[in-house]
Amino acid sequence: MKNLAQNIADVPRSVAFRPATILVPWLACLAVALGVHHYLPMIVDEYWVNVFRRMGVFVMAAVSLNVVNGFAGQFSMGHAGFMAIGAYVAAGFSYYGSLYFRGEANVDDFMIQGTLLMLVGIVAGAFAAAGAGYLVGLPSLRLRGDYLAIVTLGFGEIIRVTLELTGKQVYDAKAFQDAPLSTLATLPFNGSTGFERVLPYANLFWVWLFVGVVCVVAYRIKNSSAGRAFLSIREDEIAARSMGIDLTKYKVRAFVLAAFLGGVAGAIYAHTGVNPSPTDAGFQRSFDIIIFVVLGGLGSLSGTAIAATLLTGLSEVLRGPESIVNSPAGVWSLAGIALALAVGSALLKAVGNRGWRVLAVASVAPVLLVCFAYLAQWLATAWGVKLSDYRMILYALLLILVMLLRPNGLLGVREVWELFGPEKPARRPGAVGPGKEPAP
Amino acid sequence: MATFFDTLIATIALGSLYALVALGYTLVYGVLKFINFAHSDIFVLGAWTSFTSAVAVTTLLDTQGVPPWWVGALVLMLAVLVCATTGYLIERLAYRPLRKAPRLNVLITAIGVSLLLQNVGQLPGYPVVRDNVPPAAATADASAPAAQGQTLATLPFGPTPRSMPQLLPNAVLNDSAVASGTITAGSGRGQVRLDQPIEILPDRQYALVVTRTVDGEPRTTTFRLVGIEGGRIEAGTDIGTQPRRDPIDFENATYRLVLSPVVALRLIDVLIVVSSIALMIVLQYVVFHTRLGSAMRALSFNTETAALMGINVNRVISITFVMGTALAAAAAFLYTQKYTSLSQPASAVWVLLGLKAFVAAVVGGIGNVRGAVLGGFLIAGLELFGSTYSEVLITAAGGSSGIGTALRDIYVFGLLILVLLVRPAGILGTVTREKV
Amino acid sequence: MSEFLLDARNISIAFGGLKACQNLTLQIPAGGLYGLIGPNGAGKTTAFNLLTGVYTPQSGSIHLDGRPITGLPPHQIAKAGLSRTFQNIRLFGELSVLDNIMLGCHLRGRHALVRTLLRTPAFVAQEAAMRTRAMDLLGMFNLAHLADEQARSLPYGDQRRLEICRALATEPKVLLLDEPAAGMNPSEKKSLAQSIRFIRDCFKLAVLLIEHDMGLVMDICEKITVLDHGCPIAFDVPAKIQCDPRVCEAYLGEPAADQPAPAGGGPAA
Repeated sequence: MKNLAQNIADVPRSVAFRPATILVPWLACLAVALGVHHYLPMIVDEYWVNVFRRMGVFVMAAVSLNVVNGFAGQFSMGHAGFMAIGAYVAAGFSYYGSLYFRGEANVDDFMIQGTLLMLVGIVAGAFAAAGAGYLVGLPSLRLRGDYLAIVTLGFGEIIRVTLELTGKQVYDAKAFQDAPLSTLATLPFNGSTGFERVLPYANLFWVWLFVGVVCVVAYRIKNSSAGRAFLSIREDEIAARSMGIDLTKYKVRAFVLAAFLGGVAGAIYAHTGVNPSPTDAGFQRSFDIIIFVVLGGLGSLSGTAIAATLLTGLSEVLRGPESIVNSPAGVWSLAGIALALAVGSALLKAVGNRGWRVLAVASVAPVLLVCFAYLAQWLATAWGVKLSDYRMILYALLLILVMLLRPNGLLGVREVWELFGPEKPARRPGAVGPGKEPAP
Repeated sequence: MATFFDTLIATIALGSLYALVALGYTLVYGVLKFINFAHSDIFVLGAWTSFTSAVAVTTLLDTQGVPPWWVGALVLMLAVLVCATTGYLIERLAYRPLRKAPRLNVLITAIGVSLLLQNVGQLPGYPVVRDNVPPAAATADASAPAAQGQTLATLPFGPTPRSMPQLLPNAVLNDSAVASGTITAGSGRGQVRLDQPIEILPDRQYALVVTRTVDGEPRTTTFRLVGIEGGRIEAGTDIGTQPRRDPIDFENATYRLVLSPVVALRLIDVLIVVSSIALMIVLQYVVFHTRLGSAMRALSFNTETAALMGINVNRVISITFVMGTALAAAAAFLYTQKYTSLSQPASAVWVLLGLKAFVAAVVGGIGNVRGAVLGGFLIAGLELFGSTYSEVLITAAGGSSGIGTALRDIYVFGLLILVLLVRPAGILGTVTREKV
Repeated sequence: MSEFLLDARNISIAFGGLKACQNLTLQIPAGGLYGLIGPNGAGKTTAFNLLTGVYTPQSGSIHLDGRPITGLPPHQIAKAGLSRTFQNIRLFGELSVLDNIMLGCHLRGRHALVRTLLRTPAFVAQEAAMRTRAMDLLGMFNLAHLADEQARSLPYGDQRRLEICRALATEPKVLLLDEPAAGMNPSEKKSLAQSIRFIRDCFKLAVLLIEHDMGLVMDICEKITVLDHGCPIAFDVPAKIQCDPRVCEAYLGEPAADQPAPAGGGPAA
């Protein structure tokens, strides 16, 4: 039997070198981002454009959390803390950067330079978050399961309190330009009020470009030897060690990667027209993200992305009178999506693809969303009951139900597209006989 | 500035509260080996049930002339009942089906239960209004009656913070009388004159305890002195007091001038300390000297073997849960008597309190009854001493005030991380090795 | 440099007062197929845990191929060339059969993050090679048709063989098998015996086997070490072990003065 090195040497160059595999996903990200950026505003109004920006942030957050919670099975409950670090560092870059270079933070014609500052900030924020992830990852070597969960939760709280203790924000450009470093040393992030006046440089394009990048990165990690190592740790630490997997290295790596990607999500979040504030680091935000991950599937990137999208959409739909019910275009496009999915499902069934069930279920989702929207409106006008008050109750019930019925989340480690493919013949229980002797 | 002893008093009071909550965590963990994340929400349920039932009892029943602690006892029983039932249901419906599932799944379920309880408590419900409308009779239209009368409570609990009535004796124990005599003039409108000169220390709080005779019975009222700087105040000078809503003539009433402590030790604190120690002893007895306790210990070693030995696993776990939740309810009732302003059910205040109690249980060694109490005092001590002294240091070094106080949470979680790294099973816990 | 491939001398460990393993010496030459037997609780699995680094020996030394591995963490010992299976099967249940084997190949590969993210040719080649190698191994054990199944969905016997297969994927010099025949029926055991010999010859490694099935042990092992209460009480060829009075005493709890030696499949089967 050859060893792995010989096996590698045997792989022909034509197999190993495929530029398409290397590049296509990145180009696809770019195309999707451009598409969303140009076509979405044609369909929906500005309010929904903002919803889609927030949605993108949640998708990134959920996908990044899945790296540590889903792949490596190290249950982190402080993800919002990493996001907040990313958010504050990036916002610091773009706010104080424009204060320093432009003498004013509130300028519209500064868009391109501002975007550059944001991009620098995103990188810096991601690295800062990754540093924090390294610190949190260290205890994971000695702690398992619920203990680790509590430590990460505590760490998130430490970050929140620290952010609350930061100094006053500097609005005066002159003062800042005179002594930029000594001002920054006081961490001028405005304490519990939250960082103000960060310009919303992250438009739909940037948000969805980074959603794509984060997803591709996470997916490539999952589908690699490193990703398998993460999964093996989650499945059985002792067996993983005896297979030569360095638990220390991989656990810390999982935390660092998740924190890095979470930092990107936070950095984008800070530039979507919100004031990043210490509550963004709190455990309630972490729990929101955990809900997406658990419902979508611990280890399933597409699952968590879909869960984050749908649940964000749902919370908008539940708002009642001001929801999509008043926007015929929104209702019609959802109905169109449902119809397209149903037709697709019928087609797949006709060609004998087992994915038809997935599409059939998926086609129900937009219909349900519309129904919920009408229900919410009716309840609000007829009874004065706000369905949005019940949103978290619904999530909590879903969480419990999923844990009782599908312990690994709706999709488990599988991706959505793995549910498609030719129908498999049902395996008979006796089909796999007792072990035959290996062929010599 | 608080002195060492003041901080010590505060530590004991807060620590025993943590210990009470931590006991519940540790009890459930000891048997089921999982963190009942919803424990702090049961605690919130207990606190808010105490509030609602106190309102209901005082509105529905004629409580004139009944000593308040009778009402308190009734309220406590109601809270325990509600919490224990909820705890039983949670265990039965959410946790029991997951008995053989990985611990992480149970943890996620517990988070789900916690979120569920929090948000059900947050729902805007039916208001209980002042003009004695029983809650069931309140009409479906929630806004109309609320607009007429003063809303006392909502059912379930609603998103507004409330103020809990004082049902247990609350006297300050560590104050000291500095003078006494008779009041020469005063009507409770905000000024009194005393018959003697008094010495006032700067930066300290003083209370004036006034006793007068009404219908042959002595009545005592306490006022805070306001607008006073340090120094000597001559007899007959007007001294500012907190005004009274319905002024009564105080002339010739007797008074005691009392120096309020920086940190007040109240009767309720003593009650909390005593009950936490007593409950620890009771639990220790139950766990180590009763049949139920040996069943619990057997379960904690190995559920399957315990079942083979004829232990009714589900029953023992249910009982443990009911015990844990009842403890939470009792702790919550005492909490409402110590801190009478109740935050809304989903407030971060509760979660933080629950977390710190949990940290106490983990630091002491989760699953260990004595460890929970030890951890409670340790956490409270670290939190209060740490924040007091770092505040002193930081303000002395020229830092802005408030930073040291805000650091208290950081100390607690820092200690948690430290202890878990050095002794993963906590101070009094024992390490269990995974069998390969 | 000793003549033994795996050379563990006088290793001991105690858990509190329990001396789980005392002065155990295990020396296996290249190509050896040795057995480790003993009554339940004799410390066999503890010995495996000591060898593979799950526990650190409190005294004694372990060398693998002349290299000291005493006290190294398990993953480094695995890398040095010591691989094992587990008494209670520890597969990565949620993962596919193929992924389980590819994880076995993990420690011989390189996994830098940059190449993973950029999908460099070196990365693609390594993945392809791991896949080929894993499929080859699965083919040898007649598991290739199950490559895409979840490991936990396999029947028990297949799971056992998959675990051996995964251990082999790490390219070990010494393979430790912990009760590979547990729960197998006689015909399965027979084919297992053949497999073990085949593995030893084909992969050119040494095998150390814990087994309760005396028939299997006596059949395939060249030499056997017997443990009782953590202490090695005998080390010899199977024929001699069968009539060793100390061994019979350890198993039956009484001096076996005039009893016939337990035949294969005897005491603990």
